Amino acid sequence: MSTSAELRLEADAARRIVLEAALASGSCHIGSSLSIVDILTVLYQRTLRAGEGDRFLLSKGHAASALYAVLARAGVLGEGDVIAGYCRDGGTYAGHPERHVPGVELTAGSLGHGVAVALGRALADRADGRDARTFCLVGDGELDEGSVWEAVALAGHLAPPGLRLIVDANGFQGLGRVGEVLSLEPLGEKFRAFGWVVSEVDGHSHAALACALGAPARRPVAIVARTVKGHGVPALEGEFMSHYRSFRPHERAILFAGLDRIEEAA
Amino acid sequence: MRDAFFRALARLGAADERVWALTGDLGVGLFEPFEAAAPGRYLNVGIAEQTLVGVAAGLAYAGKVPFAYSIAPFVTSRAHDQVRVDVACAGANVKLVGVGSGVSYGTLGPTHHAIDDLALTRVLPGMTVLAPGDPAEAERAAHAAAVHEGPVYLRLGKNGEPALLPPDVDFRIGRALELRGGPDVTIACTGTALREATAAVDLLAQEGVDATLLHFGTVKPFDAEALIAAAARTGAVVTVEEHSTVAGFGSAAAEVLAESGAGAVLRRVGLPDTFAHAVGSRDYLVDRYGLSGPAVADAARGLLERSPACPTT
Ligand SMILES: Cc1ncc(C[n+]2csc(CCOP(=O)(O)OP(=O)(O)O)c2C)c(N)n1
Ligand SMILES: [Mg+2]
Repeated sequence: MSTSAELRLEADAARRIVLEAALASGSCHIGSSLSIVDILTVLYQRTLRAGEGDRFLLSKGHAASALYAVLARAGVLGEGDVIAGYCRDGGTYAGHPERHVPGVELTAGSLGHGVAVALGRALADRADGRDARTFCLVGDGELDEGSVWEAVALAGHLAPPGLRLIVDANGFQGLGRVGEVLSLEPLGEKFRAFGWVVSEVDGHSHAALACALGAPARRPVAIVARTVKGHGVPALEGEFMSHYRSFRPHERAILFAGLDRIEEAA
Repeated sequence: MRDAFFRALARLGAADERVWALTGDLGVGLFEPFEAAAPGRYLNVGIAEQTLVGVAAGLAYAGKVPFAYSIAPFVTSRAHDQVRVDVACAGANVKLVGVGSGVSYGTLGPTHHAIDDLALTRVLPGMTVLAPGDPAEAERAAHAAAVHEGPVYLRLGKNGEPALLPPDVDFRIGRALELRGGPDVTIACTGTALREATAAVDLLAQEGVDATLLHFGTVKPFDAEALIAAAARTGAVVTVEEHSTVAGFGSAAAEVLAESGAGAVLRRVGLPDTFAHAVGSRDYLVDRYGLSGPAVADAARGLLERSPACPTT
C-alpha cells in the first residue's frame, strides 16, 4: 500500500475513534478535535522519532479526543478503552488531557500554557545534548493569550534548535470567527518578526504536513496549518457550532456520513 | 444559575448606562439580550483573561460598572495578579463573574474545576465574595453586586441547579440565611453545596436528628454572628462547600469558630485537598469525593457522637 493511502486510512481510523467517543459520551468540542486529526496522524505515524526522544504537547487541550485517538492508533492506548472511557462517569480519559495518562506530555485545558512548557523541554534537550524535537500544537484562538507570545518571544531569542510549534488555524474560536474576535493575521509575519522559521501548509494534506513537520532546522519553527474545523463530518465542517454541538446515538448517521462516503468510494 | 445571572445582567444593562459586560470568549448565545439592552457596552476581549480583568479595571476607573465573565478558574486563578493589583488593591468597582463552581464542569477535568476560587478571592483585602445557592439567589446576588460599591467576585454554578430557596429570597451581602433551626447539629453551606446540605438535613430528619441549616450566599464578609449563634446552640458544625477544604468556606468558618470560644466541634466537608482527577459528571464527582448529601449526613452523625452537647451512651 502506498504511504499516502496508508496515512489516509490511519487518519480515518483515528477520526472514527473521535466520533465513537463523542457519540458514546455525548460530549462537545468535536470540531476542535477533527481539525487536528490529520496533523496528529502524520506526526505520530511519520514524524516523531521515538528513539530520539521526540515528543508532542497538545496545548489546546479541548481537542483531547484527537490525541487519545492517535495514541490508540499508535498502540499507546487501547481503542476500546478510549471510546468507553472518554468523558464518562468512572472513565479514564477526561475532556482535557492530564499527564498521568500514558503518552500525554502536558496537562492542558487552560489555554495558553503549552508553548512555554515546550520551550522548557527544548532548552533541557539542548542543555543535555539531546537531538530530540518538541512539537507543540496551539489553536488560533488560543493565540489571544499573552502567555503564548511571551514564550514565542523568548524562544526566538534563546533559539533552541528542537522547538516546533504548530498553529491549528481553523478560523474559529469560542464566540466566533478569529478574524472578527481578534485578528492576528498575517500570522507568519508575526512569528518571523520574533526570529522563528515559518512554513504555512494545508493542514489536511498529509504530504504537505509530513514535509513541513519533518523539515530540518536549527532554530524554532512555526508551522501554520490551515485547517477546517469539523473536518471529515459534512454537518460540522466550517461550522461555528461544531465547537458546541453534541450528538445522541440516534444521530449517528450525521456524524459518520463523511467517513461512510469515503469507504463507499474506496 | 447561569441563565438567571444573564437575565439579571440584561436588566442591569438596560437600567444603568454604567453597566458593561465583558467576556473572555465564553458564553455562547448568552450575551445577546444584554447587547440588545445595552448597545455598545458588550465586549469580547478574546481568550485573554489577564486583559479581561485589566480592561475591566480601566473601565471601572472611568466610572463604569463592568461585569467580567469567564469560567471560574480563568477569571480568578489565571488572572489572579490583575485581580489582586488592578481590582482589589486599587479598590476598583469591578464585578468578576465565574461560571462553573466546584466540579460543575465535571468531565472537562481539573483545569475547569473551581476548587480554589473562594480561597483566591477571599484572601484579598476589600473583596466581596458571593456564592449563591440557587437560580433565584443568583439573580438577586447579581443585582446586589451591581449596587455594591467595590470589587466583587460572583461565583455561579453552571445550569440546571434546582430551585431551593423561595423565588423572592431576600439576599443581602454579608448575611447568612437560616433555613432550618433545629437544635441537634448545624449544617453550614455555601453556593451550589446548598443542594447536598439540604439533602443531608432531610436525611437526618428521617432519623429524628433536627438540624440547623445555614446557607451563606456571601463568603466574604463572613456572617460570623449567624455561625457563632448556631454553633453555641447546637455544639456541632459541619461546613459544606463545592471547593477544596483548604482556605475556602470551611476554613473561614473554622477561623471564626476558633476565635469565638463557642466550643463547638467542627467537620469540614469539601474536596479533601485534592484535584478531582477522576473522570465524571458533577454529581458523580460530588459523590466520589465525599461531598454528597449522604456523606454530609455521615459527617454530622460522626460529630453527634463526639459532640460535648450530646453525651455518648
Ligand atoms: C484560559 C482559557 N480560557 C478560556 C477557555 C475556554 N475555551 C475553550 S476552547 C475555546 C476556544 C478555543 O479556540 P481555538 O484555540 O481556536 O481552538 P479551536 O476550538 O478552534 O480548535 C475557549 C475560549 C479555556 N479553555 N482556557
Ligand atoms: Mg480555532
